Amino acid sequence: MISLNNKGTVSDMAEDREILREVWEGKIPVCFQLAQEDIYTVDQPDPFFLLVPRLSYFPLVTDKVVKHLSKHVDRDNQGEMWLEYEGQALKWHYPIGLLFDMFGSRADLPWNLTVHFQNFPEEELLHCPSKDAVESHFMSVIKEADALKHRGQAVNNMQRKDHKTLWNGVMNDKFDQFWSVNKKLMEVSGEDTFKFIPFRVYQMDQVPLQRLFKPTDDNGDVLTLRHMLESVITDFQEKKSRVLIQGVEPDLDTPVLWLSEHLSYPDNFLHICLQSSPSEVLQSES
Amino acid sequence: MSEGVEVINDEGPAQEQKEASVKSPDSNDANEKITSKPTTSSSGKQKNPSKVDILLKHAGDAPIMSKRKWTVDRTKKISWVADFIKKYIKSESSESLFLYVNQSFAPAPDTDLGSIFDCFGSDGKLVLHYCRTQAWG
Repeated sequence: MISLNNKGTVSDMAEDREILREVWEGKIPVCFQLAQEDIYTVDQPDPFFLLVPRLSYFPLVTDKVVKHLSKHVDRDNQGEMWLEYEGQALKWHYPIGLLFDMFGSRADLPWNLTVHFQNFPEEELLHCPSKDAVESHFMSVIKEADALKHRGQAVNNMQRKDHKTLWNGVMNDKFDQFWSVNKKLMEVSGEDTFKFIPFRVYQMDQVPLQRLFKPTDDNGDVLTLRHMLESVITDFQEKKSRVLIQGVEPDLDTPVLWLSEHLSYPDNFLHICLQSSPSEVLQSES
Repeated sequence: MSEGVEVINDEGPAQEQKEASVKSPDSNDANEKITSKPTTSSSGKQKNPSKVDILLKHAGDAPIMSKRKWTVDRTKKISWVADFIKKYIKSESSESLFLYVNQSFAPAPDTDLGSIFDCFGSDGKLVLHYCRTQAWG
């Protein structure tokens, strides 16, 4: 369990580094089942179980799933694979952990996903022709994050091989490899703090919210997650909300800078899920 | 170059043939959804908060658009802008077109313009570069 002690003082730094590793090692058990309408063979395909990294993307971890399930699909009608959870098509360009926080965090484990090879939902999903598409999307989000944090200077000062190292770290689930380069993007020392915090807030059935938000106010006072949520949601009601980042419900008094440094996804964004709180649901029912 | 603002109206494809819509003289068949309504002034006064100004600049061998500044609904997606440009420059819809912010990153096609404008717009407009190949990154 990650404890969020977030004073951000020097003495906490070793402990904080452990948090980076804990976050990196977060995994979700998933059960992949072929959609009934896609089954072409007489024998029913067995479900396929995987423990997938929160920080990865589905196209990077589903090669074996496709290989296993596509044996049961009509080859002539086999299109691009896509995933669904209870009627919700899952966007491959969101990190897996974000998708889970959005749709699966109240589900029983393993997370039961339906695999489709037909009827691609063109309106809801982007096509993913190859892993290269995931890579270019990933690098683009990193660049956007750095444009917010350092006016793009940190990422522009890198060489192409550094970009590759970041990507290979994510693709091959290598923490040390990834952080050997990512530390340059996450550096905050003295004057060199983040200009803006790269973040997006996700709510059910709404477009993600993204605004400019500084780590401190005009007086130099530290801004917290509560300030951030209040700035993007006009009627943010703390008691009625459940806030999830990386599967964790952080204290709303946590400084946004600390969150950005420690709970960002590899794409350098804080992906924040906002849901109505379960207790609120219960109260309104009673 | 003339940079008068035109309004791309916010109706979906189902309503693209509104009787009031007037085709822009230089858009030809580029897009039925364009109305030539000079109601939004380019001086910045009385801006409609539900719309943003975008400035489209070509990069690489992509054709130049004779009209570069447009006013677009905040809720429109990047993919919608790409389709609009493709029609305008008479590019096949199957051809790829890349849109860049800050000449640096390409937002995901399902990103809404409002968010990008809020974070990366300057001087009241959002500059987007378009090109046929991956120009940056």
